[in-house]
Amino acid sequence: MMKGLCFNRKHLCIPYAAFLILFVIAPLIVIFYYAFTNGQGNFTFDNFVNFFTNTNTIGTLLYGFAVAIVTTLVCLIIAYPTAYILARSKFKKKYVLLLLFILPMWINFTLRITALKEILSVLEGNISAYPFLNSVIGMTYDFLPFMILPLYTSLLKLDNSLLEAASDLGANKFTVFLRVTLPLSVPGIVSGVTMVLLPSMTNYVVLDMLYNSTFIPGSLIFSYFSAYDWNNGSLISLVLLIIVFIVTLVTNRFSDNEKDKRVAIL
Amino acid sequence: MKRFKNIVLVAAACLVGASALAFTGCADAEDVVTLRVCSWEEYIDLGRWDEEEAIELESGTIFGENAVYDDFTEWFNNGDHGFKVKVEYSTFGTNEDLYNRLSLGDEYDLVCPSDYMIMKLLAEDKIEEYSEEFLSFGGEENYYANNVSPYIDSVFTQYEWKNYAACYMWGTTGIVYNPDKIADEADVATWNILLNENYKKQVTIKDNVRDAYFATLGIINSETLTSSELSSVQLSSLLNDTDSETIAQAEDVLKRIKENVYSFETDAGKADMVTGKVIANYQWSGDAITIMDEAETDETNGTELWYSVPDECANLWFDGWVMLKNGIDGNAQRKEAAEAFVNFLSRPDNAVRNMYYIGYTSAIAGDTVFEYLDWNYGAEDDVETIDYDLRYFFGDDEKYIISADRSCFEIEDGDGQVINRGRQLFAQYPPENVKNRSVVMLDFGDKLAEINQMWINVRCLDLLDISPVTVGIICGVVALVAVAAVLYAFRYKLFIKHKPKKGYKKIEE
Repeated sequence: MMKGLCFNRKHLCIPYAAFLILFVIAPLIVIFYYAFTNGQGNFTFDNFVNFFTNTNTIGTLLYGFAVAIVTTLVCLIIAYPTAYILARSKFKKKYVLLLLFILPMWINFTLRITALKEILSVLEGNISAYPFLNSVIGMTYDFLPFMILPLYTSLLKLDNSLLEAASDLGANKFTVFLRVTLPLSVPGIVSGVTMVLLPSMTNYVVLDMLYNSTFIPGSLIFSYFSAYDWNNGSLISLVLLIIVFIVTLVTNRFSDNEKDKRVAIL
Repeated sequence: MKRFKNIVLVAAACLVGASALAFTGCADAEDVVTLRVCSWEEYIDLGRWDEEEAIELESGTIFGENAVYDDFTEWFNNGDHGFKVKVEYSTFGTNEDLYNRLSLGDEYDLVCPSDYMIMKLLAEDKIEEYSEEFLSFGGEENYYANNVSPYIDSVFTQYEWKNYAACYMWGTTGIVYNPDKIADEADVATWNILLNENYKKQVTIKDNVRDAYFATLGIINSETLTSSELSSVQLSSLLNDTDSETIAQAEDVLKRIKENVYSFETDAGKADMVTGKVIANYQWSGDAITIMDEAETDETNGTELWYSVPDECANLWFDGWVMLKNGIDGNAQRKEAAEAFVNFLSRPDNAVRNMYYIGYTSAIAGDTVFEYLDWNYGAEDDVETIDYDLRYFFGDDEKYIISADRSCFEIEDGDGQVINRGRQLFAQYPPENVKNRSVVMLDFGDKLAEINQMWINVRCLDLLDISPVTVGIICGVVALVAVAAVLYAFRYKLFIKHKPKKGYKKIEE
């Protein structure tokens, strides 16, 4: 018996396994169960068929995509030069600069969005007139650090001698960037994109707070749940899950670097 | 593997042991009953008033030092009940939130849902009936039965809730507005303001299907509602109409409302109204009072806001305390404690504390409450006054007429009757004629799914509504980006695995 109680390193994973089972596997099973049953608990594909034949739900999915993709692009456009400058600058305390970008993440995001709302009100006047624009601005504000960080790490470890070699071989600065820097930073771009694209598809609180009254998938799930319709709500969660899965599969092909994956988990 | 099993077993044993200990801990102190109460957020006085906030009435000073539920514990435990009580107070955000929690197995002894949710819980036989002792008039500590307003009592009798629910707060829904920014008072006298293009993107509506649907029915039936005298039964059936045809009609109206309003808001409307971002706001009466108070005292842009109950009809709502069967679970002591809790909240001085703190209107009548009203709203000596009649609520006695500031009400020219619009007192206690034009919105019942689908259709972007131009632009941009990326990848041979030439070998790092 005493021997049985012996503790070895494998047992360190018990907390994680318990967490995984309780909070990942079990909820997934519940989602699957509800997605393929109706209110009476009978097996059905109706929820599935309804989802893909209703122009409103598909429209919502597309709208969510539109917000997410535009947000991701804007983040990328802002984050790339920032990360590039940060990573290549000779400034000794660049961590301080980086900190400036990460700092907002330490403040609760509803607070930040409330502040943003006031700023936008001053700039735009009546902010309810530009719901899509505001949603994108809000999401960008919220998710920008998630884009900067992976880009920064992938650009930081870029080998300077490669750039020098390219210049030696006659490439001008632009060509060096296009043929060396950019391709080598693709893993960073990919993990940045994954980290911004997926959460911004469901973060409906930002839309709510910035007066966009059009639903995105997250708000649709909430709306079903508040009418006690667990089945349709679960189905949408499942659809989102499948989309996430596909995106991850595609991006994993590009991001073969262990370090970037670690950043992605951060 | 075996070792793993052992570890799990030991862990499980520890857990069981710990919980057993915890349970014996409870069992040892047999005479302490834990009362689990769940109510709306910010729906009870939490105490810690400033000293100048004390309400000094002739019958005594009312002051909130501690939270009401803590005062209850103290009050109850000092009494002679043969057991002690401990209150676990938690909150919920919406009725649906509460219902979902209950169906997921959360247990509460006493909850405070709205009228339609009480109906739903009643229909599902989840509500424990109040004891005869609680409901009977006269007992020394029967504060609820002794003090509840005759009006509330008649409504609860009419809907057959009386034995199951004890009304806590009640009110109407209406429109808070800024009279300076409104071109014509007639504009706010109708639900049509939500569609009024003169106020495009300047009015907010509640982000909740029931309130939105009610306003929509008001708009659809506007002519019938304003042109003829309807009996309360007719009113009720018109505004509780859930025919599929009506739902389809409501969908069209709501889609137009969505285009016209500033936003569907859950809580932001209060602040937006006070800061002047919007000029009118569909609001519950209690929050309307809070908004008016805040706007008045706001230092930078203090304004006088008004509350309007649209001519068509107002929604009359009630929140009531109900005991839940699965929480009480046949435990007589727990039931006694729950009933004592409701009685304590209904003690007039506590009712005043809650009213003062949250802005809503208590269901409790009685002289102390009236004295508070008089203290709060009674006119100063040097202003023109009107007699504001509250006899329907407090009881048939001449003393229940407040002499209030005339400038706080919209008054009909002819007979001097208060109509449809006013300030705090009007919002807190609607005049009898407004009350008579109001209806209770019943539970949607099995039409809920259909109405919710309608709501989703309104809020979602319909694929068919996207203009071909937009589709063209989006497709064009996507195609352009894709082509650029592919060209770039090809040009520089990215992501293509290079095979070593013949005779060469790739060196693994």
